[in-house]
Amino acid sequence: MKLTAVRNFLNETGDISRFTGRFFAEAFKPRYEFAELLRQAFFVGYKSLPLVAVTAFIMGLVITIQSRPTLVEFGAEAWLPKMVSVSLVREIAPVITALICAGKIGSGIGAELGSMKVTEQIDAMEVSGTNPFKYLVATRVMATTLTIPILAVLADAVSLYGGYLGANIHGVVSWDLYWNQVFDTLAFSDVLPSVIKTFFFGFAIGIIGCYKGYNSNKGTEGVGRSANSAVVVSSLLVFILDLLAVQIIDILRLT
Amino acid sequence: MIPQTNIAPEMDTVLSAPVIQLKNVSKSFGKNHVLKDFNLDLNKGENVVVLGKSGSGKSVLIKCIIGLIKPDSGTISVLGKNIPELNHTELDKIRAKVGFLFQSNALYDSMTVRQNLEFPLRRHRAKMTKSEIDNLIIEALTNVGLAHTVDMQPSELSGGMKKRIALARTLILKPEIILYDEPTTGLDPITGKEISNLMCELAKKYNTSSIIISHDLNCVKIVANRIVMLIDGKCYAQGNFESLKNSTDKQVQQFFQ
Ligand SMILES: Nc1ncnc2c1ncn2[C@@H]1O[C@H](COP(=O)(O)OP(=O)(O)OP(=O)(O)O)[C@@H](O)[C@H]1O
Ligand SMILES: [Mg+2]
Repeated sequence: MKLTAVRNFLNETGDISRFTGRFFAEAFKPRYEFAELLRQAFFVGYKSLPLVAVTAFIMGLVITIQSRPTLVEFGAEAWLPKMVSVSLVREIAPVITALICAGKIGSGIGAELGSMKVTEQIDAMEVSGTNPFKYLVATRVMATTLTIPILAVLADAVSLYGGYLGANIHGVVSWDLYWNQVFDTLAFSDVLPSVIKTFFFGFAIGIIGCYKGYNSNKGTEGVGRSANSAVVVSSLLVFILDLLAVQIIDILRLT
Repeated sequence: MIPQTNIAPEMDTVLSAPVIQLKNVSKSFGKNHVLKDFNLDLNKGENVVVLGKSGSGKSVLIKCIIGLIKPDSGTISVLGKNIPELNHTELDKIRAKVGFLFQSNALYDSMTVRQNLEFPLRRHRAKMTKSEIDNLIIEALTNVGLAHTVDMQPSELSGGMKKRIALARTLILKPEIILYDEPTTGLDPITGKEISNLMCELAKKYNTSSIIISHDLNCVKIVANRIVMLIDGKCYAQGNFESLKNSTDKQVQQFFQ
């Protein structure tokens, strides 16, 4: 019983690796599907931007409000902008963005490709002289890989703005002072690794969504299952990648 | 034991090499042996109907012909090329000349009817101008009597309309060979008859050859030059409509009741 679960897990890991290998083998050879890539990138950004922005704003606000009492206790209230900006930019904004996209984009890709698979639309593309792997998978994976970092940077900015409002609810921090403190604290070595890791988040979300959809089993039930497991697996993968990123940044002493 | 009602196709001229020739094609999924040494010739200008029970492997058969499923063994020659041996580019060249109507229609439901019809055109005929494409789209839609649906989404169409749009998308490339997977299933008898007549007209007008999968006897009667019975993965019997209808074999008889 347990053994089959382990075997299934290993099988699936192997299949996903092979799928990723196929992506690298096919995505960078002509013919390039630029128009479709742009369309997908637009969709990814357009679909998740409002949700990402609202969530990032609330997180910035809430983290600031909740960090405040502790700092006040130590008489370190002036450090509030420093502290929240580091946790927002290094960790909270990128991970929140990735999780929202895993939920919204990952499930969308899984369901869309899954239903295209079971209704033979993928076969129809192939018959119409189109490599469906390139047209559907490569474009979507590239779109998430390129768009999610942009969303994450926007989330950084919005959450810092939320932090500014949060700092002004009970205390008074002027606009200039707040941003001066934030940019004093944030070094290049905070921003760059946290942006780099979002490329990997984006890639993971795209690849898992496509893998689940593209290998959907027959029937509408299979479509639902693809969408669902796309979200579960890609969210988990976001955390695992985040853990790895922290370790790597730590080893390189970038912090 | 096997009654081979061997009747030559009802054609004025028996033309040179067949456009499609399957030799000893076998395909199994695990223990499920779907095709066993299946043989079939399709001559130029001929409409061959494949009859068989649900699940007997008819869809698998024509998917092998278009290269969507790779057979385990045997040769499938289409317009002189052996399909299982071709690479992607060579396959695309053949596929530009072969139309395929999917049993499930397979319309792209994220695209409008116009975009659905444009898709194969843009893919297979890269050098067309916008107005040439528009003209072809209108011509193809007029052929199936649905010119007014050009800007609709597939979800707004009825089942029969979807089938006709799928047919238009198949025909828009003016293929030399057309593979129809159940073109009239799920249609009312009147529309079914219209589609069958349309298939005959098109075959004459553009001199196409086709393989048609169908259970619909009215359709079979109208379009078939020859009928092939697919039973137990083999070509069990073949002949024209009348000869099979009057066959005394039990398995053949079942289809004509
Ligand atoms: N991709 C596949 N994987 C495994 N088995 C398959 C696959 N495709 C088809 N089969 C099996 O092959 C057999 C033939 O299927 P096929 O779709 O060709 O039937 P059919 O003759 O077209 O039936 P219908 O008239 O219902 O469309 C079925 O038993 C089916 O389960
Ligand atoms: Mg079928």
